[in-house]
Order: sequence, then structure tokens, then C-alpha cells
Amino acid sequence: MNEMQHDDVLKKLNSIFQEVLGNEEIELRDETTAADIEEWDSLTNIRILVQIEQDFNISFSSAEIADIPNVGELVRLIVARIN
Amino acid sequence: MNTEIEGNRWHELRLAGQLTSDYSGFFRLCRQRARQLKELDIRRRKYIRLALLGSANTDFLADMLEFSLDIHGIGCEIIEAPFNTYAYQMLNADSLVAKFRPDVAVFVGAALNQPEWPDINTPDEEVEIMAGRVAGYWLDLCRALHDNTGCEIVFDNFSQLSWKPNGNLSARHAADHNNYLTRINCLIGRNAPPYLHINDVAWMSSYHGVSNWFDTRYWHHAKLPVSFGCIVPYVRNISGIIAALYGGSRKVLVLDLDNTLWGGVVGDDGVDSIRIGHGSPEGEAFLYFQRYILQLKNRGVLLAVCSKNDDSGARAPFTDHPEMILGLDDFACFVANWEPKPDNLVTIAEQLNLGLDSFVFVDDNPAERELMRRQLPDVLTIELGDDPAGFPAQIDEQSPFEVVSLSREDAMRTNQYRENQLRESLRTAVSSYNDYLVSLEQRAIIRCFDESRLDRITQLINKTNQFNLTTRRKTRAEVERLMQDEKYLSVYIQLADRFGDNGVIAVVFGCWGDDCLEVDDWLMSCRVLKRDIEKLTCNYLAEQVARKGRRYIYGNYIPTDRNGMVVDHYPDLGFEQVRKHENGETRWRLDVATYVPAVHSIAIEES
Repeated sequence: MNEMQHDDVLKKLNSIFQEVLGNEEIELRDETTAADIEEWDSLTNIRILVQIEQDFNISFSSAEIADIPNVGELVRLIVARIN
Repeated sequence: MNTEIEGNRWHELRLAGQLTSDYSGFFRLCRQRARQLKELDIRRRKYIRLALLGSANTDFLADMLEFSLDIHGIGCEIIEAPFNTYAYQMLNADSLVAKFRPDVAVFVGAALNQPEWPDINTPDEEVEIMAGRVAGYWLDLCRALHDNTGCEIVFDNFSQLSWKPNGNLSARHAADHNNYLTRINCLIGRNAPPYLHINDVAWMSSYHGVSNWFDTRYWHHAKLPVSFGCIVPYVRNISGIIAALYGGSRKVLVLDLDNTLWGGVVGDDGVDSIRIGHGSPEGEAFLYFQRYILQLKNRGVLLAVCSKNDDSGARAPFTDHPEMILGLDDFACFVANWEPKPDNLVTIAEQLNLGLDSFVFVDDNPAERELMRRQLPDVLTIELGDDPAGFPAQIDEQSPFEVVSLSREDAMRTNQYRENQLRESLRTAVSSYNDYLVSLEQRAIIRCFDESRLDRITQLINKTNQFNLTTRRKTRAEVERLMQDEKYLSVYIQLADRFGDNGVIAVVFGCWGDDCLEVDDWLMSCRVLKRDIEKLTCNYLAEQVARKGRRYIYGNYIPTDRNGMVVDHYPDLGFEQVRKHENGETRWRLDVATYVPAVHSIAIEES
């Protein structure tokens, strides 16, 4: 994977998380999981996914929606979809 | 000064909320509203208790509903039933929802959750019976909730499914699931009681496309009833219905002419060259827009013209162009001059005797829209695109004319306003006002509430702002209870005169006490002000009170920012003041034993 693309996606993802969760202090890293961010629960997770789908113009599968282990995986998924 | 700035900030947020249909933009505004709740000067004319329940996930709706209802001036406290507990909530008088005593319950449904499905071999007659059972299942649940709480219910009907295993045979076979859902929708619509208000998901989902409306992935993941792409129109539609329940529907459509009702500028191009009618796509689009407007008018929306034109030039297309759908008769008010449009709109409001929040303004010119929004923020200014083909949908999106029922009076409304103008011209022809009233040959019918007039009575109770002594809003169910309650005297008055029938125009209801009648509310349509109806009504009340062996009539006046015209209603009728509160509320008493019936010239046909 192209490092540049990874970093760009992570950056954009960070602002989506900040916006959707209403918390400007969020700093995502690859190993960040839902347990690390208080506002990231099953409901806000849906808001985040919908926003990602809209902003990156991609579409997740049913299986992907249900299972996102950490931010790194999410970034990899987005990059794969974009390409 | 400070409050004005804050008020404007809410106006801006409200406007953005009206114009934004995409989910992330709307959600951002919801957030902003929530963050600034304390500083925003949100004017609410009504507070309600709202319960959210259903067979789908309601988690994402509450914030958006709150904002969307605020846009209509309705504040709410929301309770959400735990996911998929609807049957329990509706059937049990001590459920969470029932105990909350909601004014309104919003039932969020999903096409996929039907208690029974036919298979393709089920004979048509059996499918028919099954669909009846299923419609009955939903209606019974709603009735139970209504019986337990008295609440009004907004109920989602069902979209089509995103798949068609029977291909194009679907339309032929009742047992096909899409066909079956359509059948259930029809049965629910036909049998819905007055407290049940259908949120027409079936239409909205077909308008947006079922595959856009319903995101199967998020249904499987979290039982979301509607995709995020369509959640704003969905919420907006629900709040439009709730606003209509509480008298929030607008009454008048004010239209510009050039490039709004026809293509081109009649003053420059001449009647023959404007584009309206068959022969060009643009002309046809205007034709269909006019047809749409005519349908609004036929169900009771008043039309008015507000145009920058010479009066005669502006009228010419209506009389001289063969393909115009709308005629001059269709308009309750016609203003064409060179004054600023907000000034003209204020004049129209005065002529029709309606508040600015009753008006919807449609103009193709962005500068005119901007000016109207800036100067008269209470008028709803529709954001129009460049293409007339889109105009009907752009009005529909705001559901400004949503009503919860249609009454006989609605269809007659434009005529009644036009008759009013004829009455006005008579008024200038006769020498004194008394002569004028006599010449009107007024005839009244006074009756206790009856089933056939309940819709109109409810409408009058909820829409009347100016001639309304205590402004006590009531749902249809509450009005029905008044009708049945023997402790109450609840009457309506119907008025006709030589120019036509005004229909039901006044309502008064009060509770019998040991020695008196305690008037709860007394209200009258503004179409018949200064026609001595209040004298007639007072005489009637005094007569009833004497007949019942009581001595007094008590009545209160509760001031609002709209009902200043009735501040002296009771003293004018000979009531004496018995109390005055600091907030301006006053209490009045009439001694029937010494009351001399007021003189008026209305013939009583029946009482």
C-alpha cells in the first residue's frame, strides 16, 4: 500500500471522526479501537460509516459494516475500495 | 438589541434547516442547535410530549425530529421505547410509553415486519383476508395505544421491497409480497380512524426510489427504517404532520407571475408571446405547475398574486391567453404594482386577515426571495430551482400545506373569501354599518357539536388565533369527548348570508357549574368579524343558562401575541370584571337574571 494514500485517508478519517463524534481532540492512530474513544459506540459507528461512504464515495459490504477491529483496518479497507 | 441578534440567529438556523436535505448537513445543524440551545431565541407556540416507537430502530430520529419540529415552532419532550417493544408499549396501559402520556406517538414501521405473509400459491381470496387481518393488526395496536393514552398517532405505511422474485407477475398476483403490501396500505388508509395520521412512506419511497430509500445493509446491521440519504425528507414529513395537528399548516400560496406561472415577461413580450401550454417543454412545465396549484386551491389553499407589473398587464394572460389553467377567480387576492414585495405581502395579509406565518411565497427571482426572507422571516419562502418542471416538488418538500383532514369548508374557502370582497363592496354602498348588516340577510344555525362537523370544529379550534379568548387547542379525540360529555355545553354556529354559505364559523364550549356556566373557550373565524355573531352567541348562552336554572356565565381572557382584538370581548357584551392577573389574564361574569339580550339582525334558522 502506498504510504501517502494511507496517511491521506487517515487524515480525512480523523476529521470525519471529529465531526461526527463532536470531539475535536480525537487523534486517530492505526491501533485505535472503539474502546479508546468514549463517543465511539455501536450507534455513532453507523454515523461514521455512513459519513465515510458519502465522503469517499464508496460502499461497504454487510460483513464489513459489522466488523471493524481498529482504525488501521478501516483505512486499509477504504484504500482498497478507492483503488 | 441583543435579543434581536439572537432571534436572527435562530432565523438563520431555521432557514438553513428548511433548505438542507442532505443528512450530514442537516445533522451538523442539529448539533449547532443543541450546542446553542440556551442562546437561541427559538419561538415555540406549543410544547408536546412525543413518544417514538416502532418495529425498526428509532435511535437516529430523536435529535432530527426535535430540530425539525422547532422549525415549525413546536417544542417537544421525546421518549424512545426500547427497540421492537411496540406491541407491549401499545397494548399495556402501564407501559413506559403509556405512562409517559404522550400527546403524539410516532410509529416507525418497516415493510419487512408483517405478522403474516402469503406464499405464491395462496389463493387471491385468502390473501385478501390475510391482508385484512394484517391491516387490522396494525389498526388494533394503534387503537389500544390511543385508548390507553388519548394520543394522536403518526403511523408509517409501508414501502415496497427492494426485490421482486415474481418478476413482472407481481402486479397480477395478490400473493406477491409487493402486491400484498400495497393492499395492506390501502386497507389501513381506508380504515384509519381520525387520530391516526399516515406518514406516507409508500409514496416517499417510490418518489426517491426504493433502492435509495431503504439500505438493506443497514437494515440487516441495525434495523434502520430508512437510509441516511433519505432520512431528512422522512423526518421532515413527520414533523409536517405533527405541525398540522397543532394548527401549523399554512393557508395561502402567494405567487409571482413572470417566469413563475408562465415563461417570459408579459409586460415586455405581450400576452401572445409568453410561454404557457403545449408546444414547448417549458410551456408544458408551467401548465403542469398551474394544474398543481389549482389542486392546492381545490382542497382549500388560498391563492394570491404578488407581482411587479402594471395591474392590467398582469391580469391580461388570465383573461386573454387560451391555455392558462388558473383564472382570476381562483385568487383570493391580486396585487400587481411596483412596491416592494414584502410591503405588498403585508397588505395581502391584512386584506385576508391572516398572520404572516400563514403565508408561503413563491418567486423565481432569487433577489426577491432574499428580500422576503430578510424582511418577513415568518413567511415561508420556497427555494425554487431554475426549471419550472421542478417547482411542484420544491413546494411539496416543505409540506407547508399539510392538513390532517379535509372538511366541506376547505373546498369552499376561496369562494368565501371572494364573497367577503363582494360584502366589502356592498358595505361602501350602504349608508350605515347597521344597514349593511341588515342588507346581508344573515341566517345562523346554532347546534351542539355533532359528528358531521367534528373535523371542521377541530380545525377551527386549532387554527383560530385572533378571535380566540383562551386559545385552548384540542385534538379531534378531545373534541369528541367534549361532544359526549354531559357536563359540557359545546356548540358551534353556522352562518349564511345573501352572498353565500360561510359554513361553521364560531365555536364555544363551557362546563356546567352549580350556579353557572364556566366558558372554557370562545372563538370565531376572522372571516366574520363585526357581524354581531358574538351578540347572537351571548344571547344564546344566556338563554341556555337561564333554562338550566343557573344564574351566571363566567369567562376568561388569556392574552397571547395574536388575540389582542378580543381584549374587550366580555365587557363589550356586558360582563363585569371579577379578577385581573398581573400577566394580563382577566376573568369576567355575566348575571343572566339582569341580562338584556343584545340587539342584532341575524335570523336564527335553528337552535
